[in-house]
Amino acid sequence: MRNVKGTRHSLRSSRQLSIIAQDPSVKVDDRIVRASIDVPAEELLPGPRGYRVVVVDYDATANALYQPASLSSGLEGEYTDPFQEAPDETLLSDPRFHAQNVYAIAMRILARFEFALGRRVQWGCEGHQLNILPHAFAEPNAFYSRDDRSLFFGYFESFPDKQDNTHTVFSCLSHDVIAHETTHAILDGLRSRYLEPSSPDQGAFHEGLADVVALLSIFALPDVVGAALDGMAGGALIDQALLERDTLANSVLFRLADEMGQEMSGVRGCALRHSIKLPPGKNYMDDPEYQEVHKRGELLVAAMLRSFLDIWISRLNRIGTIVDGQKDRSLVIEEGARAADHLMTMAIRAIDYCPPIDLSFSDYLSALLTVDREVVPDDRYGYRGALLANFKDFGIFPSKRAAADGTWLRCDDEMIYSRTHFDSMLRDNEEVFRFVWENRRTLKIGDIGYIEVQSVRPSVRIAPDGFVLRETIAEYVQVLTVTAGELRQDFNVDVPDGIRFWRPLRLLGGGTLIFDEYGQLKYQIANHLLKDRGDKKRQGDRLAYLWKQGLLDTKNDRAGNFSALHLARSGVQERAG
Amino acid sequence: MKPSRVVIISYQVGFGDCFLLSFEYPNEQRHVLIDFGSTGLPDGVPKNQLELIANNIAERTKDQRLAVVATHRHKDHISGFATKKQRPSSGKTIADLKPELVLQPWTEDPKLAVDAKGPLPPGVSLSAHHVSSLAAMQQVAGAIFSEVKRVRYLSPSLRQELSFMGENNLANLDAVENLMTMSATREYAKAGDKTALEDLLPGIKIDILGPPSIEQSEKITKQRSRDQDEFWHLMANAASSLGPTKVQRVAPLFPDFTVDRTAGRFPIDARWIISQAKRLRADQMLRLVRILDNVLNNTSLILLFRCGSKSLLFPGDAQIENWSFALGQAAVREKLKKVDLYKVGHHGSLNATPKSLWDLFDRKSVEDNPDRLQTLMSTMAHKHGDEERRTEVPRQTLVQALDRQSALFTTQSLNEKELFHETSLDLS
Repeated sequence: MRNVKGTRHSLRSSRQLSIIAQDPSVKVDDRIVRASIDVPAEELLPGPRGYRVVVVDYDATANALYQPASLSSGLEGEYTDPFQEAPDETLLSDPRFHAQNVYAIAMRILARFEFALGRRVQWGCEGHQLNILPHAFAEPNAFYSRDDRSLFFGYFESFPDKQDNTHTVFSCLSHDVIAHETTHAILDGLRSRYLEPSSPDQGAFHEGLADVVALLSIFALPDVVGAALDGMAGGALIDQALLERDTLANSVLFRLADEMGQEMSGVRGCALRHSIKLPPGKNYMDDPEYQEVHKRGELLVAAMLRSFLDIWISRLNRIGTIVDGQKDRSLVIEEGARAADHLMTMAIRAIDYCPPIDLSFSDYLSALLTVDREVVPDDRYGYRGALLANFKDFGIFPSKRAAADGTWLRCDDEMIYSRTHFDSMLRDNEEVFRFVWENRRTLKIGDIGYIEVQSVRPSVRIAPDGFVLRETIAEYVQVLTVTAGELRQDFNVDVPDGIRFWRPLRLLGGGTLIFDEYGQLKYQIANHLLKDRGDKKRQGDRLAYLWKQGLLDTKNDRAGNFSALHLARSGVQERAG
Repeated sequence: MKPSRVVIISYQVGFGDCFLLSFEYPNEQRHVLIDFGSTGLPDGVPKNQLELIANNIAERTKDQRLAVVATHRHKDHISGFATKKQRPSSGKTIADLKPELVLQPWTEDPKLAVDAKGPLPPGVSLSAHHVSSLAAMQQVAGAIFSEVKRVRYLSPSLRQELSFMGENNLANLDAVENLMTMSATREYAKAGDKTALEDLLPGIKIDILGPPSIEQSEKITKQRSRDQDEFWHLMANAASSLGPTKVQRVAPLFPDFTVDRTAGRFPIDARWIISQAKRLRADQMLRLVRILDNVLNNTSLILLFRCGSKSLLFPGDAQIENWSFALGQAAVREKLKKVDLYKVGHHGSLNATPKSLWDLFDRKSVEDNPDRLQTLMSTMAHKHGDEERRTEVPRQTLVQALDRQSALFTTQSLNEKELFHETSLDLS
């Protein structure tokens, strides 16, 4: 089969594009640190408008549309990178570069998720293409809106410096902000119910994971990591003193959105600088200050990033010094990249191993541990040990429904398989529902409420023996609507006193089913509707939290929800209702 | 010495508050003017209504002892205190009465005010941070107000709501300055403070129930005040990246890279997302003004006047966040049970009469009786909020409850020629 270029060999699958590596404030030799990153190659319309991302540079505050970036075609020539040699001033003042920057970073993050999961990943919004507005409005804010199928990035004027000068801060030039918002859109595609008000953990998870992805993805860029470590553009050796724990933790690599952070320490940015430096060993989980979702998200980031640092440092200790306490610079960077890559893959795959509703940090920790056990059964690199220790330092323990080592319990129950077909079970929601229905007793999902299978997806990875392994992940959700009175009387759930007895309340339950390559149920990771005392407590806690936050019965304005959340990170809170 | 009677004059200020309390002592009357402002008058009311009201206040209080209370800095509560370059003005008339005390919330204390272009550095008191963000919020209101005037895509109702809220939150420099200078004695009070108003009104106990200071607020509010200061300052100046507005237009960020419109329209493939972005922008602006409107409302003084067995409650526009400090104290809750007259908070919005407060009032009753709770509401419909979102002011469900369980007077029932309504309460 010949392709459009008249050859039987495949077309290039990736192209390279320049991005600002972190943000315009991060410089080496007085030049903005850039990176040339691989993004999937495709034939783009001006925008760029591609198969997953469409950049439309409209500014609502100025009511102006800026010119689209036109990236070359690989069919009529070679893929080129128009801004490869451009001076810093051009990067800052040419909106077409801003468009390229958001396009490239969003595509790279999406590709990273697809790489980890071995399948195409949907956005949380309708359709296949996510709109990105790099200069959407004058506001110190950036957010994902499901209803608008878009990411919106704001811009604003900095505070005056000592010479009384100000400059425009573009959130669309901050790698971390773009990666963060893109992750929201992807996570929403993987687990749509996580945007619904639930426990503080679930809201915090969206924020925390977005930060973790933003930070860890930097480590795959060797030049950036090198520059951040010793402030140099290259070199063969690096001083060991720069590799001490505190020095590393203080480096720009662990600070999210540095420029935004300097300008708006409370709104963005400072979160991470803060979170890796959160002193461990306190019971943050019960601290009232950490009930607020953004603050709470930092706990997840701190635990993940400290685990990463532990692993990196232990790997570095195995590298000998060459001369005068200096180590091989490229090895140091490579070890960081490897550890970050492994942890990032775990962090992404673990989402498949989480319950579809009412997620808690404990659930996520168990999911992380389970994912790693599947790949590295003997924990020879110490990832699980590092995660357990660091999560514990922030008051997060594996789920109570997990095994002694913190991983999810394997499912050993006898199931009815004969009424469903293997092939349909791999892709068909109806078939999986039939399986759930036939096995509702064994799966302990009870017989009340409305059940819906939300998705059936493949998960492909390389098994420890080097062979390709295909598993199937299915999610079902249970919904029960009852009045507060019924809930108190018939189900013995502790409903907050202020809620009137006639008021209808919607309860959620649900689970993730993981089928092995033979289609046998391997794990059921569920938060049941009202199966036992634990579930009743969870439902009561959720209602109490929603009631207190004023989120009960609010209109499900998800787009609004997200922008409100981002305002809230600044401590500026909106009253619900 | 003890007053025998109090007469409360509720002036017709449309959407706003203006109440004159005249306490009758054996040989004299002493007065307290609580708020004097308006953002919008009903049709048919004279344009110079505020001046007419000022003159009426002057007639009633001339050569008698008077104190002024400005519950918070919203236009609809202080615009009447504004002075104009050309005389006469309502603010000048009031200043000429030489009130012997001006009472305001602690957030108005000029000692906390700083002329800062940006947020305050760490190390400055949290109260100063709060005051600094209030100033920035008023700038944000200004920026939004000018954007609303400039853009053409807003629906009429949205434009009206945004303009109203934007305008109401603008800084009223004239009025603020007049309040600062009209009297030799000025007090800036927080919850629990004593006030010199008690010296002016012997026989009356005055409890200041709000606003709480930052130290009195919840731990979380305290910690956030610095971040909020930053946010509002950034927000206030965000659009300066675009340069000043000229002839209802701003320069785009990248003037050399704009796409021209054909016949006023953007290219077809961008139109859908452009309309979404406009809708979202409007939504964000509304969100922001609502947040800052609430924050400013929550700086309101809450005053409880007690004399013998009678209690009068004037909470300005305080909302639940301000109220929660007072409602959290058992002793205060006891006092609130005995309220005889309640000035309905925030022109009848739902959030300003928390259920936990309304439930406390022991004297509400469906039947008329001599001790029945009296409620005074100064308001005007269709100015604030939205019926569809159930945020309209006055909120219908609240008005129904007030009407059923109390003797309700609303300034909406005044005809265009009536300047005020008089309520009298026997204090003997």
